[in-house]
Amino acid sequence: MPKLIFRLFLSFVLFVSVFILIQNSLTPDSFGKYGHYRADAIDDNKISTSYYKGEENCTTCHEDIFDLKFNDLHSGVNCESCHSPKINASVECEVMPPVIEGTLKLCAQCHETNYARIKIVPQLNFKEHEEGRNCIECHNPHAPWELKE
Amino acid sequence: MGTERIAKNRRKFFQTSAALIGGTIIYSLIKPFEAIAQTEAENSKEGKGNLPLWGMGVDIESCIGCGKCAEACKMENNVPKEPFYFRTWVEQYTVKNDGEVKIESPNGGIGGLKQSVPDEDIFKSFMVPKLCNHCTKAPCVQACPVGATFISPDGVVLVDETYCIGCSYCIQACPYGARFMNPITKVADKCTFCYHRITKGLQPACVEVCPTDARIFGDLRDKKGDLVKFLQDNPTQVLKPHLNTHSRVFYNGLSSEVK
Repeated sequence: MPKLIFRLFLSFVLFVSVFILIQNSLTPDSFGKYGHYRADAIDDNKISTSYYKGEENCTTCHEDIFDLKFNDLHSGVNCESCHSPKINASVECEVMPPVIEGTLKLCAQCHETNYARIKIVPQLNFKEHEEGRNCIECHNPHAPWELKE
Repeated sequence: MGTERIAKNRRKFFQTSAALIGGTIIYSLIKPFEAIAQTEAENSKEGKGNLPLWGMGVDIESCIGCGKCAEACKMENNVPKEPFYFRTWVEQYTVKNDGEVKIESPNGGIGGLKQSVPDEDIFKSFMVPKLCNHCTKAPCVQACPVGATFISPDGVVLVDETYCIGCSYCIQACPYGARFMNPITKVADKCTFCYHRITKGLQPACVEVCPTDARIFGDLRDKKGDLVKFLQDNPTQVLKPHLNTHSRVFYNGLSSEVK
């Protein structure tokens, strides 16, 4: 084999092997396990904290309120629909209670009159109805038709 | 003698280079199938039938546009509070008597949607919750140049935050506008069906808080599940079916005005 061809061949082999080496060192281990992506990324997506704990988490302590709610019109509404967990919900309920702020605004989110709203949700004009009072002054949010005095 | 030597060497050279080129071509042809062969082996080993196939049903007739879902999603997934970044949002469609269609979604519906058109001008009006459609043939996955977005074995389109280079090709590729550039992490962000929740047996945050059960989440392979029941009970549709994305978010009561 002439020297020239041999050198050409050698440099070609060198180039290819260096390319494969660099490619291998830069590709993450789990890449291509299931497809053209890093398989470990599936687990990375699982580790985020859940702020919303689910209704069962609430009912262990507040069973009385749950029973009240369950037997009334708000039975389909989950606890956390209204009591949204505070941003640091990893701490327990007692330390950072999920207090509701601005009840009037909160009720209006679902019950303000809107043509697009389905009729099974009671709708009302809040400006006419409230008479300057807060909703919970008359209504129990867990049992909305049990009017207070 | 001289010409014979050259001819011999030339033949040898051609033989070696042909073998080399042939070998390279065969290797490059086989290489891409390695991953597939591996997945098939894994699937048959673990049994793909055992894995769930996540999907969602959205009942437009039940949605009241309270925006709880969008609010909960932002909190659960640490989405920036500015009104440009949404993993899920609610749109209010209003068809006026003169045929004009008005689409509104102030702050993604957070805080409750309000009707801006007087009742006497309205022909019909409805709410459409939107989110990533988790396409079976996802255009965003095809567009990603580095393999940072992918469809997980249980059918959820996810983003690899450590691998994403932030080129935002996927954002342009998504026909549903479901992706955005996260200003904090500087990578593409999107709905994951709350992957950290569903893998622990919880419901996604938007489903958890929906007061009228307008969102139904479940396993499409579970024939007795809520989602399959919803699909059996209702004539459902997907968004933009002409794009052939085979999405896994099914809408009941979808009007032709919805884009």
